[in-house]
Amino acid sequence: MEEISLTINGRNISCLPGTSILHAALENSIKIPTLCHHPHLEPIGACRLCVVEDEKSGRIMASCVTPVASNMAIKTDSPTIKQHRRNIIRLMMANHPESCIVCSQGNRCQLRQVAAELGVGEIGLYPMPHYTGLEEANPFIIRDLSKCILCGKCIRADHELVVVGAIDYNLRGFKSRPATVHEMPLEKSSCTFCGTCVSMCPTGALTAKNPRYVGSPQKELSTICGFCGVGCSLVMGSVDGQIVEANPSHQEGTVNRSTLCVRGHFTHDFLNVPERLTTPLIRRDGELSPSTWDEALEFVGKRLISIKRKYGPQRLAFLGSSKCTIEENYLFQKIARVGFGTNNVDNGSYGSGRLIVNLVDERLDGGGHVTPLAGLEQAELVFVIGANPTQSAPVVGYYLKRASRIKGTPLIVVDPREIELVPFSSLWLPLSPHSDCELINGLAAILHTRKSYDLDFISRFTEGFDLYCGGLSSLDLEGVSRGTGLQVELMEEAANLIQGKKIAFVIGHGILQQRYGTLTMDALLNLALMTGSLGGEGKGFYFLARENNQVGTWDMGAVPDYLPGRQPLRNDMMRKHWEQAWEVKLSPDPGLNIIRMIEEAEKGNLKALYIMGENPLRSLPQPERVRKALRNLDLLVLQDILATETTQIADVVLAAAAFSERGGTFTNLEGRIQSFEQVASPPGDAKPDWEILDLLSGKIGFPRRYSSLQEIRAEISQMVPMYAGLGLSKEESWVKEVSAMRLFRRDGEGNPIHFSPVIPAEGETYDEGYPFRGILGSLRCHLGSGTRTGHSARMRDFGLKGEVEISAQDGARLNLNEGDQVRISSRFGSIVRGVTVKKDLRSRLIFIPMAFHNNDAIQLIQLSHLGQADSLGWKACHVKLEKL
Amino acid sequence: MKSGETEWAQLEAIIDKYRGKTWALIALLQEVQAALSYIPPESIEYIADALKLFPCHVQGVINFYAGFSLKPKGKYVLKVCRGTACHVKGGRGILRFMKKELGLNEGETTPDYQFTFETAACLGACALAPTMMVNRTYFGKLTPPKVTNILAEYSERDEKNYES
Repeated sequence: MEEISLTINGRNISCLPGTSILHAALENSIKIPTLCHHPHLEPIGACRLCVVEDEKSGRIMASCVTPVASNMAIKTDSPTIKQHRRNIIRLMMANHPESCIVCSQGNRCQLRQVAAELGVGEIGLYPMPHYTGLEEANPFIIRDLSKCILCGKCIRADHELVVVGAIDYNLRGFKSRPATVHEMPLEKSSCTFCGTCVSMCPTGALTAKNPRYVGSPQKELSTICGFCGVGCSLVMGSVDGQIVEANPSHQEGTVNRSTLCVRGHFTHDFLNVPERLTTPLIRRDGELSPSTWDEALEFVGKRLISIKRKYGPQRLAFLGSSKCTIEENYLFQKIARVGFGTNNVDNGSYGSGRLIVNLVDERLDGGGHVTPLAGLEQAELVFVIGANPTQSAPVVGYYLKRASRIKGTPLIVVDPREIELVPFSSLWLPLSPHSDCELINGLAAILHTRKSYDLDFISRFTEGFDLYCGGLSSLDLEGVSRGTGLQVELMEEAANLIQGKKIAFVIGHGILQQRYGTLTMDALLNLALMTGSLGGEGKGFYFLARENNQVGTWDMGAVPDYLPGRQPLRNDMMRKHWEQAWEVKLSPDPGLNIIRMIEEAEKGNLKALYIMGENPLRSLPQPERVRKALRNLDLLVLQDILATETTQIADVVLAAAAFSERGGTFTNLEGRIQSFEQVASPPGDAKPDWEILDLLSGKIGFPRRYSSLQEIRAEISQMVPMYAGLGLSKEESWVKEVSAMRLFRRDGEGNPIHFSPVIPAEGETYDEGYPFRGILGSLRCHLGSGTRTGHSARMRDFGLKGEVEISAQDGARLNLNEGDQVRISSRFGSIVRGVTVKKDLRSRLIFIPMAFHNNDAIQLIQLSHLGQADSLGWKACHVKLEKL
Repeated sequence: MKSGETEWAQLEAIIDKYRGKTWALIALLQEVQAALSYIPPESIEYIADALKLFPCHVQGVINFYAGFSLKPKGKYVLKVCRGTACHVKGGRGILRFMKKELGLNEGETTPDYQFTFETAACLGACALAPTMMVNRTYFGKLTPPKVTNILAEYSERDEKNYES
C-alpha cells in the first residue's frame, strides 16, 4: 500500500492510508491531548480536545476521526488550537463539581491533567455543575455522574469490548448522561461488574468502591491475575505493602488488554482479610498453636521421613495446587519424586477434566497445545459445547461476543440451558443433558451423508476414516433425535452452518466433568479431524481452564502419571532421561491421583498427606467422606494462604504468601507463559510457597537447594523443552509445541492422527425417587469452590444467595415460587437453597450454582474418578426436591 | 386509554413487522408512538430483542427525541408557542390562561388522558401569533375566549369524527 505523506508541525510524516491524524502524530511522538480516545476503542470525536488546524484551509478538525490525506499540512499547537482546547476544558470544568480535594480519582484524573497541561486554572465562567444522584449501593462501583464529561468511554467499552450493553447515552444536551435501562441501579441491570468502565473513566465519575482506601495508590505494579485460567494482565495498586486495587493493564498483546471480570477487578480484597495465615501452626494438645518456621518444618520433615521409613514411600502423598506457580509445582513434584521416591503427586485441578485433556494430548502428541484466544476472532465458526464462558471465564466470553456481534462470526451453542451466549449465537442446540456425544456423532453423520468433509486434510494427516465412516453410516438419526431431544431439522440446520468451515471448539466443564466426557471428547476429536479443524489459528480445541495455572501445573508434572513437559511416566525413554537428570530411580507405575489418595486414606493405607494450596474439604465431592479419610491420616500438612475448612483439621499449617506477594509464572489456557514479580508484602511471617518447599528440602536432606526463583526457572527452561522460553525475557512467551504428528510439523514427516470408532451412547438410566436432573455450574462472582472469592468483603456485601434455578413448569407442579426454600437431595447428600424460577428452563432440570454456602452443592456429587466408565461425573446428578 | 390487551397485541404486531431489521428502530418507534400515544417502558426489552440491540440503546433513542414519549400522552396534545412573535403578541398570557383552565403544568396530562399540555419554542406560524397546536391542527390569533372554545370543542369530540 502506498504511504501518504503529510506534514505535522512542519515535520514530514508518512503513514498508511486510513490512519487518523492523531495516530500519525502519536506514532511520531507528537503529543496531542485527548480525553475520549483509547487505543482499544473506536474513536468517536466526542471531547474535541484533539482538534488540529489545517494550515492551508484553516479548518479545525478532530484528529482522532479525521484520516490523513496527501499533502496535508497540520498544526497541532497553533494559538487558535490552544484557545479552542482551553475553552473546551473551561466548559468541562464549569460543568464539573468542585470536589477535587475529596475525589477518589485524585492525581489520576485526566481532566485535571489536561487542564494543568493547558494552563487552565481559574475558568472565568459561571459554574453550573449538573448534580445527579450518587449511586453507591452496590459494593463494587461508585457512580457520581455529576463528574461525567460525556467522553463515552464507559459506553464504548461496554458495547465494544465486553459486549454486555448495560449502559448507553440517555437524554440530550445538558441533561445527557450514561444510564441503564429504566435508570435502574447497576445491580438491577445487566451489568456484570467487570469494571472495565471504571478503568476507562478519565474522571472520578466511575470509581471502584474501596472501603479501605480512597485515592491514588502509592505503587502500581504489573502482575497476572490469580483466579481463572485466562490469566489477565493486571496492574495492582498497593499502599504500605497491601493491595488496595486492581486494574487491567491496558497493554496491547496481553490476553485481556483493557478488560477484566468482576473477580479479577474487585475480589482481590480477599488478600487482606484477617483469616490470612500469618505464622506456621502446629497442633499441640488438640489445638493449633503458633510456631516458628524452623520448628514447624523440622517437625514436618522428621515425621515425613519417619513415616516413609516405617511404611514405605507409597504411603505418602503430595497434593499440589493448580493455583501455585510453575516454579512451585516443579519443585513440589520433584520433592515428592526425588525427595521421597513416590509418584503420589496430584493437584486440585483433577476435577477440571485433566484426564480428558490428556486424552487429546496423547492423540495429538502434544499438538494444538497453544491456542491464542485472538484466534477466535479469526475463526470461521465457533462451536461452544458444555461451556458457559460469560460466567466461568468472562474474558473468553468477551472474545466470543465480539466475534459474533462485531465480526459476524457464526456461533453455535450446545447447552441444555439458555446461557448468556445464546442471544449472540446463530444457533442454539438445547440438548438433553448427557447427550452431547450422540449429538456430535449425529452432526458428523449428517455431514458425512452430504460428503462435507476435508478429504485433503483427512488423507494427509489422518488414518482410520473409513472405519469411522462405517460407524457413522450405521447411526440412526431418529434415535439421535430422541436421545438428544432435538429435531432432525435443527441438527440439519447446524450442519448447514458447519458445512465447509473450520471449527474452533470451546469446551468447558460441561464436557470435562461429564459422565460421558471421554466418549464426547472422542466424538469431538473425530468431528475436528473430519472437518480439518486442527492445526492453525482460529480452529481446534479451546479448553476453558478453571484455574490460573492449571495448564502450567500439568505441564510441570505435578500429576501421578506424567513427568515435567507432559512426558508420560510409562515412556521408558522419557523416564530414563529424568532419572539421569535428577540422579534418582523413578518407578514406572503411576502414583495415586487425588481420588485414590482419599480412597487410600479411607482404608488406612495412606499415612501422610502434604497439601499445598488446596482445600479438599470444600472442593471435593462427598466432603464428609473426605473429612473421615483425612482424619485417618497420621500426618496432614497444609500449606496455604487462608484458614480454611481443611486447615482446621491439619496437624501442621504452613503460612504461605499469595501470588501477588511473591513472584512466579503462570501458564494460561492459551499456553501463554506469563511471569510476574512481587507486588505486595506477605502478611506476618508468611513465606512464598517455593521458599517453604526449599526450606523443607533442607530439613529432609534434599540435595538440590534453590536460593531464588531465577534458579528454578533456569532449571525448568533447561530441562523442559516446552518451557525453553521461560525466564529469558520479560516479553510474553509461549509453550513450545513438539509433536510427532504430521499435522503439527513443517517437514511433512510424522504420524497420522487416528479416528476413533463411533461408540453408541448408552441410554440414560433414571433414578427412581430422584426424578430431577441437577446441573452444577459456576457463576462469575466466584471461582471454583469459592475459598478465596468467598472471603472477599465486596462479594459478601453483594449478597448473592446462589438460588437454584427451576423451570416454570416444575415450579407450578411443586408449588414453588420465587424466594421459596427447597431441599435438594441426591443419593450422596442434601442441601437447602432458595429458589428462582427461570421461565425458559427445560422441565425436570435444575441449575445449582457452586461455591455458595461453602460450596455445599458439591455434597450432591459422588466422589468418583472422572473419565472412567462407571463414573457418574461431577457435573450432573439425580436429585429430588422438597418444598420447605 | 386503550385496554392493556389491545395495546399489547398492537405492539406485538408492530414489533413482528420489523423483527430482525436493526436499522429500522426509529420507524418502529414511530409506529408504536402513533398507535399507542406512547412507548410502553416494558416494551423496550422486547423491541431490543427483536432488533438485536441492547435495551439501553433503545431507551437512549427514545428519550433523545421529543417525539417519543415513555409516558402515555393525552388524546390531544396541546402545544402553545413560546416563540418571539407569539411572545410579543401576548403569548405569555395565553400560556397562563391555559394552565389555569387545564390545571396542568408544562409536560403534564389530565387524569382522564384527554389533554397533554406542552410548549414549543416556535411553531413557525408567526403571522398568526399567538398560536397553538392541537395534535396537528394550528390555531392562530388566539384570545382567552377562543382558547376556551377550542378546549370545549375538543373535550367532547373524538379525533376520528373531527378529521378534516
